[in-house]
Amino acid sequence: MAEIDSNSPPSSKNILIASVISLVVALIVLFSFILPAEFGSDPLGTGELFGLNVLSLEENPLEEQLVVHKTDSVEFILGPFESVEYKYLLDMDSSMLFSWVADGELYYDMHAEPAALGEEYAESFEQGNSNSRMGSFHAPFTGIHGWFWENRGLSTITLQLYSSGFYVNSTVFRDGGSYERELQTVTD
Amino acid sequence: MKRVTTMGAKLLLLGVSLFSLHAFGHTIEGGDASFVEAIDGPAIGPFIYLGAKHMVTGYDHLLFLLGVIFFLYRPKHVVQYVTLFAIGHSITLLLGVLANLQVNAYFIDAIIGLSVVYKAFENIDGFKRVFGFEPNTKVAVFVFGLFHGLGLATKLQEFDLSENGLVTNIISFNIGVEIGQILALSAVFLILSVWRTSSSYLRHSFITNTALMTGGFLLAGFQISAYLFQPPF
Repeated sequence: MAEIDSNSPPSSKNILIASVISLVVALIVLFSFILPAEFGSDPLGTGELFGLNVLSLEENPLEEQLVVHKTDSVEFILGPFESVEYKYLLDMDSSMLFSWVADGELYYDMHAEPAALGEEYAESFEQGNSNSRMGSFHAPFTGIHGWFWENRGLSTITLQLYSSGFYVNSTVFRDGGSYERELQTVTD
Repeated sequence: MKRVTTMGAKLLLLGVSLFSLHAFGHTIEGGDASFVEAIDGPAIGPFIYLGAKHMVTGYDHLLFLLGVIFFLYRPKHVVQYVTLFAIGHSITLLLGVLANLQVNAYFIDAIIGLSVVYKAFENIDGFKRVFGFEPNTKVAVFVFGLFHGLGLATKLQEFDLSENGLVTNIISFNIGVEIGQILALSAVFLILSVWRTSSSYLRHSFITNTALMTGGFLLAGFQISAYLFQPPF
């Protein structure tokens, strides 16, 4: 039948056959593999057959946790050029909400250190100077996640942090030492 | 008949291997995307890099260029055609972003896919033998260059680009695109040149271009599907 002679120019019949095959192959691949794997549509049932449907499942916005979430409020008073660091222990993929407000401008650095790897693997998410920051945080890895604040002015500044989240505990780093702080549940 | 079935099988294999290259909606993603959003002011180096990366990793552009230089044997002709393509896409990239031309990205990418089909069909003498006329290949390459540039512009405009340093950044991106194109083309041209020394080149040119056509159809089909299945928000 449609024999393709390689040494002479292709006949218009062969060109048409090749083009149609090309289109049909593309359509077959599209309908049997790409639609199920990429777009969650499985018109021929091949997505089910080859297990491709899982590839197009959307990420569930729900992140289930096994414990009740905690709340915490803490106040720090920072004299001129004093600094403090406050961090929560969060498992990977755990979230927290936070708001901190100060009565003066502070330098801040929101960052995290992976558990057991220490400071040299610290990752910083935001640095700047501000009176307040509010936000939500989704822990990229298990470790301690929190803030470094420094008063770079000449007046004493009071800082108030409120947070809630699936953290385990919190640690204060101040004056060269560190201690675990008992979480202070927000009641009102 | 048997010959045709083997050809079908080969095409299927090629199609599947093309698709395992995963990310089909060829966009600027991940860390690069957040960089582009965060930038405020001229950033020549990063935008040159992103432009080059977009081209070198952009199989839609690369497949088209492969089709364009498939039967160009002399470097002079390669330079001529690629310059036409580059002028075409530079015009629409610059004007598109500066004039804030909003075109549906899927639509443009589908046309880019069909540009591969067009070029492959032309390479197997489809227009001459089936339709009895030969389109001006230089004009075609230039016009498809315009579409490819519009695609690039659309990708860039998906980001909230800062007005600060915009022109510098787009020109840098465009320079990067040209650098990436030269790099990718040199590689493709070298491989083709080596292949051309063997007699299998002409023997397989028909099947190669048919496969290229399949790739083009797949690209277009993917983009049309992406358009139809896009989330309603």
